[in-house]
Amino acid sequence: MTITKLKLNLGPQHPSTHGVLRLILELDGEKILSCEPNVGYLHRGMEKMAEQMSYIQYLPTVDRIDYLAGCFYSELLCRIVEQALNVELPDKVRAIRVMLLELNRIASHLLWTGSFLMDLGATSPFFYTFREREMILKYFEKLTGQRMMYNYFVFGGVRKDIDYLEDVQEIINILPEKIDDYEKIITDNPIFLKRTERKGILDKETALNYAITGVNLRASGVNLDFRNGDYLYKGFDFRTIVLDGKDSWARYKARIMEMRESCNIIHQALEYLKTAPTLEQRLINPLNLKLPEGDYSAQIEAPRGLASCFIRSDGGNEPYRLKWRTGSYYSVNLLRKLLVGEYLNDAIAIAGSLDFILPEVDK
Amino acid sequence: MNWQEFQRIFKDCKLDGNKIIIKSKLHEVISFVTANYTYNILKEIIANDKGDGKTELIYHLFSVDDDEDLFISITVEGETESVTDIFKSAIADENEIYDLFGVKFTGNENLKRLYMPQDWKGFPLRKDYVQDDTRLAWNDDNEA
Amino acid sequence: MNYLYFLYIEFLTKHNIPKLFGDITFYIIPFCIIAAALIVAVLVLVLAERKLLGFFTQRKGPNRVGIWGVLQTLADAFKLLCKENITPTHADRFLFNLAPIILFIPVMTVLGIIPYSSEFTFVNTSTNVILYLILAAFPVLSIFLAGWASNNKYSLLGAMRSISQVLSYELPIAFVILSVAVLSSSLNLTGITLAQFSKWGVAGWFVFPCIIGFIIMFICILAELNRCPFDLPEAESELICGYNTEYSGMRFALFYLGEYAMMFANSMFIAILFLGGYLSPFGKYLFNSSFLIYFEQAFWLFLKAGFIIFVMIWIRATLPRLAAFDLLKFSWSVLLPLSIINLFIAVILKMGGIV
Repeated sequence: MTITKLKLNLGPQHPSTHGVLRLILELDGEKILSCEPNVGYLHRGMEKMAEQMSYIQYLPTVDRIDYLAGCFYSELLCRIVEQALNVELPDKVRAIRVMLLELNRIASHLLWTGSFLMDLGATSPFFYTFREREMILKYFEKLTGQRMMYNYFVFGGVRKDIDYLEDVQEIINILPEKIDDYEKIITDNPIFLKRTERKGILDKETALNYAITGVNLRASGVNLDFRNGDYLYKGFDFRTIVLDGKDSWARYKARIMEMRESCNIIHQALEYLKTAPTLEQRLINPLNLKLPEGDYSAQIEAPRGLASCFIRSDGGNEPYRLKWRTGSYYSVNLLRKLLVGEYLNDAIAIAGSLDFILPEVDK
Repeated sequence: MNWQEFQRIFKDCKLDGNKIIIKSKLHEVISFVTANYTYNILKEIIANDKGDGKTELIYHLFSVDDDEDLFISITVEGETESVTDIFKSAIADENEIYDLFGVKFTGNENLKRLYMPQDWKGFPLRKDYVQDDTRLAWNDDNEA
Repeated sequence: MNYLYFLYIEFLTKHNIPKLFGDITFYIIPFCIIAAALIVAVLVLVLAERKLLGFFTQRKGPNRVGIWGVLQTLADAFKLLCKENITPTHADRFLFNLAPIILFIPVMTVLGIIPYSSEFTFVNTSTNVILYLILAAFPVLSIFLAGWASNNKYSLLGAMRSISQVLSYELPIAFVILSVAVLSSSLNLTGITLAQFSKWGVAGWFVFPCIIGFIIMFICILAELNRCPFDLPEAESELICGYNTEYSGMRFALFYLGEYAMMFANSMFIAILFLGGYLSPFGKYLFNSSFLIYFEQAFWLFLKAGFIIFVMIWIRATLPRLAAFDLLKFSWSVLLPLSIINLFIAVILKMGGIV
């Protein structure tokens, strides 16, 4: 009897590939023999675009790199320009940015929690997490006029002064209780445990070798959080969540714990902002903005791993070369190792637990 | 990172800020620094087009234990060695660079068109890339 | 049934219609009634499911078509009727079209053998429990045909999962039914129902001596119906839609209809085996008129089935999906031994004369 392999083309239109990822799988029954991720269905040429746009023209587009956590990418671009021109941010601007970044991180993790459970076949948590995410998005809408592409950070500061702080207060009052609720329905659910415990084991060496960063790495027991050395987070007191589980469950738990920690950071920022003086910032004039010749790079801990931006300037209006590094791209690359030997239904859960989204992969 | 020691072994290199500029032996250098120092993440490979078919590749290494960055820069012409046997994450980076800059990496079997369609001509992030490709709808010659 | 038959013949003779006509039509009419009732039941069921899921997840559910969205499923059914029937290019056309039709044979028959009230069973054979056992596993044939004929890898994987699932969950069901048969000394559904009669109503139900069996039966029925957490054959996030990925329009509607009708039939079946079927939970009926009692009995049966369906929907809103491997392991290593233990308990109870 000859065993023939079944070649399955998972995606690009598939309910659980979080966008338009295409995985070319070779199956023996339901067991995966090899996996070849194929990306690029959402490529918008972000890097090529940058070479033809002035910095201020480019700024509104960078939110689109990760539409679930757009703040992080505007922050990166702003940070590079500020670094290049030696602009120091006032404390209040820093607090505002930290607060919005962390709110954005929570929104992103909430969406992940819902969609991960959706991948596992539980539909309800999706609606519960979206309910809380909605509160955050409503706040962003009130403040910036946009629900996902905020374009709120500008070179040297923020677009306008912070407002509606009572909404943020309400969010961080409610959120920990709601996270408790999710944990009640999810964390110790026997079926959930069976689907996630000891599934998709990502040991420390593999994770580092595949350049996995962010929560996925910390759930494998590596203490690496780029927020620790970040000038923006200076003065904020927070814990780095490191779990030693290495499996899907640890990655889930780490995100849940990170949401609580983000609440804590927001709380500190909020306490400061409540008593802070009115905003005085010296914005960089975006017209005719030129960076001095040289290489610049900046990095930030985004929800999906390390995000960094590299700019080489030749002194012109546009960057000579701009490069984005996104965490998701490396998570997708990891799939070719992590999915081999797993069954198809575990594969979906493992891929879901890595938390990648395709706009970030394709740039 | 002990610069003196490094220079003693690889003579043909110079230091520019925190960036080591080498001329050749890329694979050897990378395996040397990963074996002898604590650099364990290849954060990214940055490619820059320098014109005349030359591409500068910057390997951005990072040490988790020492919280230290290291940039190794090399200028290549069309082809270079792959480091996928040291860092698996390079599969992704090298494929991206192949797609956008046309640099071939010997030893990486996964090189293919990634973002661009399979039959795309040219490498878009090169400075000599011609944008008015006739296949693009807005550049269609027949339309006028 | 005899009672209804005599009523019918009496009615016909009164209007000078020959008895032969009555003999023939008496067996056709029920199937027409079933078919009509089935569609109504499914429409209500789908609406109920969507409404309940809406409440469970703090949404409103369908609320635009008609008052409170009651006409939503009707509109959906109409939409499906209007849609184009697409057959994939390399599909096996004959089997592809046959699969949704085959699904209806067991569904209709199962609904025919259920005693809705003491006189209202369309097909009343002495061993219709066995008949049910065969029919309950029958839809898998249709699923297999659909998965094979679609020429789609997802469909094939879905069908594959479905077959292994039904095969492994059929055995515990058989053991549980056996224990109920031991307790009631009957293989007839009406007989099983009547065996559960007691003066105190609820006290006679088999759910008490057979509580393990009841739970096993419920789990197995969930698995046979491919419902959450056993919805692997149509796992949306893995296999798109499993065996009915390639189906559209009316054929898809038929699958949908068959699936929900089977759910309805199986819930009634559990109600008959363990919750006293059409018997009143109070021991005596609220109505005295012999005619109204039939309706009351049917009402109790539907209420009990409705409760089981409610629990099914509730579970769907709560639990994630099991992995294929765990699913089979669960059946063979947990459910099967437990169902055998349950059979022993039933035998001991029966021999001790406790039930």
